[in-house]
Amino acid sequence: MTDPLVDIRDLSLWYEKFKALDNISTSFSSGRCVVICGPSGSGKSSLLRCINRLEEFQEGDVLFEGQSLRECPNIAALRSNIGMVFQHFELYPHMSILDNITLAPRHAKGKSKADAEALAHTLLERVDIADQAKKYPAELSGGQQQRAAIARALALEPKLMLFDEPTSALDPEMIVEVLRVMRDLAKDGMTMLVVTHEMVFAREVSDEIIFMDDGKIVERKETDDFFSNPHSKRAQDFLDRILMKI
Amino acid sequence: MTLKYDFDWPMLLEDPYREWIIEGFINTVYLSLMAWGIALMIGIFIGTIRMTRSPMLRFIGTVYVEFFRNIPLLVQLFVWFFVFPLMLPHDWMMSWNRLPHVPFLTALLALSLFTAARVAEHIRSGISSIPKGQFDAATSSGLTQVQMYRYVIIPYAFRVMIPTIASEFLTIFKNSALTLTIGVSEITSAAKSIEAWSFHGIEAYSVASVTYMTTTATVVLFMGWLEHRLRIPGLIAKK
Amino acid sequence: MDWSVIINNLPFLMKGLWMSVKLATLVVIFAFPLACLIAVGRISTRRWVRYPSAIFVNAMRSNPLILIVFWFFFLVPLITGKPVGDFASVMIGFVVFFSAYFTEIIRSGIQSVGRNQIQAGLSTGLTYFQTMRMIILPQALRNMMPALITECVIVFQGTTIAYVVGLREFLNSTFLITEVTLRPAELYTFAAFVYFVVCFAGSSLARQLEKRQVRT
Repeated sequence: MTDPLVDIRDLSLWYEKFKALDNISTSFSSGRCVVICGPSGSGKSSLLRCINRLEEFQEGDVLFEGQSLRECPNIAALRSNIGMVFQHFELYPHMSILDNITLAPRHAKGKSKADAEALAHTLLERVDIADQAKKYPAELSGGQQQRAAIARALALEPKLMLFDEPTSALDPEMIVEVLRVMRDLAKDGMTMLVVTHEMVFAREVSDEIIFMDDGKIVERKETDDFFSNPHSKRAQDFLDRILMKI
Repeated sequence: MTLKYDFDWPMLLEDPYREWIIEGFINTVYLSLMAWGIALMIGIFIGTIRMTRSPMLRFIGTVYVEFFRNIPLLVQLFVWFFVFPLMLPHDWMMSWNRLPHVPFLTALLALSLFTAARVAEHIRSGISSIPKGQFDAATSSGLTQVQMYRYVIIPYAFRVMIPTIASEFLTIFKNSALTLTIGVSEITSAAKSIEAWSFHGIEAYSVASVTYMTTTATVVLFMGWLEHRLRIPGLIAKK
Repeated sequence: MDWSVIINNLPFLMKGLWMSVKLATLVVIFAFPLACLIAVGRISTRRWVRYPSAIFVNAMRSNPLILIVFWFFFLVPLITGKPVGDFASVMIGFVVFFSAYFTEIIRSGIQSVGRNQIQAGLSTGLTYFQTMRMIILPQALRNMMPALITECVIVFQGTTIAYVVGLREFLNSTFLITEVTLRPAELYTFAAFVYFVVCFAGSSLARQLEKRQVRT
């Protein structure tokens, strides 16, 4: 078996006195799509943000392709291999969609303007908003903005994509178009870590499911296994509540 | 000349300096408190007429605010001091000039009217910061316009505006220093006089600075406490 | 009312107005970059940078400008050991005083952009410095434009305080003419009118920008 893409070792994270992540060890291999679910405050977003060191964890370490994040001499270069998609899109409101997408390829990866723009147009095509390149974020619908944000992350030509509740801020009809883009990505073999409450998406698309609570990983199972077999009481309660809502 | 300065802090406790300092402090406090009270009353009035439906009243309110905000306070002081008495009918002018403490009264007038314009602006932005849904909710539940303001809007706006109203006191407190130009013996003028007589500028100006800074700190602490007492649970997050 | 007193003394008055404009402009030009530095210190995570900046800003903001002018008028010659001229002393006092107010505007401008935008920038592999320069500052500058213009109006109004140390700006020029002509009514009304026109133009511009921002 090959080395995992991401290897998390005894990771703990505190916010002041509050322990958000409690001694987590796990790993993720290339080409897999893993969904992370759990009640709010369970630490799932924090875990995601430790993987590109947006959170400065206090204990343990995260290895990306064998490189320790704690001892990483150039964290910016490492981050430019990991795409991230945020709940509230976080497109830069003062730049056109095209500039949003080409900014990091040009300034973090040193691509030429022409190369970056060619790549951006291909990606906009792929997320189905090719005609919006010249517009500004505020002129787009929420679903279009999130797809643009996905294109921005893909422009890094990343080895890993992190999705932090990408559909929570969207209306139902827009959720569908964002999930479709994500499903296509997974089919193409992109390595994905997705924090989400979309259980239908999880069942259809993901390979594995992680259930978190209180800063710990309570369960980790193959998707079919997770939905068909009984599991821990906490996961069952959570699932009941989530599925009831649908 | 070399960088040489002989400190003499005890001199501040000797007369006449001690007397000047006490008089200056009392005048500053009196002037600021009185002007603040008057400014709040006028400011709330102007702020309210700017929220009414009458275009005429709104216009008057706007003219008042723009007028007093866009002329420097020092110029306003001079206008009230040098020009205003000349505009009065002759016998009124004579009685105005015969009043005791004309500089103090002029300072009170100028500071109050100037600050009222600022208070009016705070009132307006306080009320417009209230979500539109609150107005709809109040109206839809059958409250009249007056009831809506009385029970919903003003109690809400008041809490939002406490910090700005308190900071207006501090603004007046500092602005009162300008009145030394028309002869009010407040704390900065006391400091200036001590400096002129003794050449001990550092000691003299320290007295004034310490006065302003401790007052500011006290008011800020008190307001923090008051805000905490009156806070709406869950709504205004603590910083 | 006899307005000819203004016409007759217009060149002298306009020289004073030019002095006010020059003083205000120079103060803004020097205070703004200084404030940028202090603002970065103010949001720093290092205590030994953050605390001194906070103390400076709060000390300046709790004193009246007129007192700061007196302080510097006394201290600057004492420190430099030789007279540097009224204009320089007043200028330094103004720059130090207003840099504290500009600092607070810049700080809240940066904070208005929010942590998430910083994280979005960092997550794509930009460095902290690149993120600040390309993502945060352009947005912050736009957000704080109305407040900056309002502050410039306040600086212009503040230049009247140079009157107390005898600098011949617009208000002092007006005062000197009244001493000679004994026509305070016309002259101070004129001065108030000129200040109003300039400041009203400035505050209207700030308001327009603010309205436009609310819409987008």
